[in-house]
Amino acid sequence: MPDVILKNLPFLLHGLWLTVELSAWSIVLGTLLGLLVGTIRFVRVPVLNVLAAIYVEFIRGTPLLVVLFITYFALPALFGYRTTAYRAAIFGFVLFIAAYLAEDFRAGLRAVRPTLIQAGLATGLTRWQVLRHIILPQAIRRVLPSLFNQYVRLIKFTSVASVIGVTELTGAGLLINARDFHPVKILATIAIVYLVVCSALSLAGRALYAQFGVRT
Amino acid sequence: MTDQPIIAIRDLHKSYGPAKVLRGCSLSIARGEVVVVCGPSGSGKSTLIKCINGLEGYQSGSILVDGIEVGAKGSDLPKLRARIGMVFQHFELYPHMSVLNNIALAQVHVLKRTRAVAHERARELLTRVGLQDKADAIPADLSGGQQQRVAIARALALDPQAILFDEPTSALDPEMIHEVLQVMTELASSGMTMVVVTHEMGFARSVADRIVFMDAGEIVEDASSDAFFTTPRTQRAAEFLSKILAH
Amino acid sequence: MNYHFDWTPIWAARGLIAEGLLLTIALSAASLALSTIIGLIVGGAATARSRTMRACALFFTETMRNIPLLIHMYIWYMAFSFLRLPAFSCAVLGLSLYSGAYVAEVVRAGIGSVGRGQMQAALATGLTGLQAMRYIIYPQALRIIAPSLASLFSQLIKDSSLASVIAVGELTYQAGAIDGQTFRTFEVYITISLIYLVLVTAASQLVLLIPGSRSEAAAGRFADA
Repeated sequence: MPDVILKNLPFLLHGLWLTVELSAWSIVLGTLLGLLVGTIRFVRVPVLNVLAAIYVEFIRGTPLLVVLFITYFALPALFGYRTTAYRAAIFGFVLFIAAYLAEDFRAGLRAVRPTLIQAGLATGLTRWQVLRHIILPQAIRRVLPSLFNQYVRLIKFTSVASVIGVTELTGAGLLINARDFHPVKILATIAIVYLVVCSALSLAGRALYAQFGVRT
Repeated sequence: MTDQPIIAIRDLHKSYGPAKVLRGCSLSIARGEVVVVCGPSGSGKSTLIKCINGLEGYQSGSILVDGIEVGAKGSDLPKLRARIGMVFQHFELYPHMSVLNNIALAQVHVLKRTRAVAHERARELLTRVGLQDKADAIPADLSGGQQQRVAIARALALDPQAILFDEPTSALDPEMIHEVLQVMTELASSGMTMVVVTHEMGFARSVADRIVFMDAGEIVEDASSDAFFTTPRTQRAAEFLSKILAH
Repeated sequence: MNYHFDWTPIWAARGLIAEGLLLTIALSAASLALSTIIGLIVGGAATARSRTMRACALFFTETMRNIPLLIHMYIWYMAFSFLRLPAFSCAVLGLSLYSGAYVAEVVRAGIGSVGRGQMQAALATGLTGLQAMRYIIYPQALRIIAPSLASLFSQLIKDSSLASVIAVGELTYQAGAIDGQTFRTFEVYITISLIYLVLVTAASQLVLLIPGSRSEAAAGRFADA
């Protein structure tokens, strides 16, 4: 292992830990929000439905970096509050991934066969019960592969947090480089870490997917 | 013109992994012969003719097409395939091109004819199969029977020495089978060497010189058309005939 | 909320915005061209008969996709700084290699969905494998994948914003500059977002121009690349 890496290993490991933390928070909160928004759009709750649509279209048409600038600079300026880069990053990632997940969930919900829904209603279940016991379980199973894809994507995207000063893996590497200047070694190491983590997760995802299969 | 067979298959063996698909098949086809290959599904008939033009490989045995060994390491497959035409069960016309271009493409890029010559030849062939006014149509506009006739014209475009047919009418609605068989009958009477995998026994009886019956990867019977239909030599062939001629 | 909205400085800075917009479009167009070429080659290799070819294609796509785009750009800008490439080129290279891997995946799937029979029919008429790919397989595959390409193009436009980090003066960079001058933080970033929104929507409509592309497959505006 190159000297510059060894010398700064604790700092880099801390960066990696921050990447994991950022990803975890964003994935969990983002999935919950995405599920909520996707369901709202599927069920077409009046008023909320329109707000949800605006939110989803707006975020999906905006680059992640700009979203982070909005959560770190623009919104605090607008509402007059202070925030740390870390919190702004999580806020931004959650908003970002939830919009994409919402669409995935919505597609999954729509893909459930209408006859199945009718069967549920015919046995006297209310619409909400049918949603909860029949539609959602089916939809979630169908949607798992795309969810996984988005999660892996998010882990890569956490690197953008470095731009607003979060010292996750990329941020940490850049700081070290600023001081010790070994761009090749540092960047290669960081690249390999992301490669290993994301490839491993993709493979795991594909294996899981093969296990669960696609049941129509 | 020698009496050397144009296609000579000797002791052909082929497996897909553990499954043996062809078990020691031998077959000779002379110039101008019309040979029908028939048999139950899974007997290896389609695989056999796809081996002839190298679309399928084989593990052992030999196939000589016009003296060239198909499976040899350095054999020029494109050149060989230009000499043998093929008509597929699902027509396989190129959907993104007009009928005319479907027929002209290989002429231009394989035989290096000029566009003008290729187009003219294409029109001639379209007239021969009765579709001269469909030159500028696209495959999606044509019925199944029409598409298959275009496919035959496409195979003829390279002036092949022989044409292989892989169940040419199996994917057609009944009322369209006749128009395709008509073209094939005309082709046979013009002296084209043809190897046809088919279930159309009426066509086989009236047009074929020889019938080859396959079952479970082997050539069970190989006889002249008359002999096969009147006095099949093997039990399996007789059973097959009775089932197929029952309707 | 004590914020006083003031949009006039944004309008006053429209020159900078226009500059940024131009660069964003230039970046995206250049990367689109290069990544399409890369994707066509690698995607074709991924369906080759030779196992080594397929392995190389897989290696390329896995590596390029799993390295974050930001790292791609830094690598060209800092690690390869001895090449003395201008920042714009570094951004294009980074974007193209990253997107190219995604295009390759889409191309591979597209080629796979053109039925096997078409390849056999083409080979049976004496065309070589390469000729068959060029005249028969690729044209059909491209029509099938046109909607996916549209969403990848949209994604590319959004990804181009990262070029601001290596000092390319595209839209996001200009937004930061304008914010620094005018302190109209909210207004400038909302404006930039809306501009990206318009760009992305326009981009997805453009690809529908390819003749025969399946428009009913709903060219997704926003990629899930």
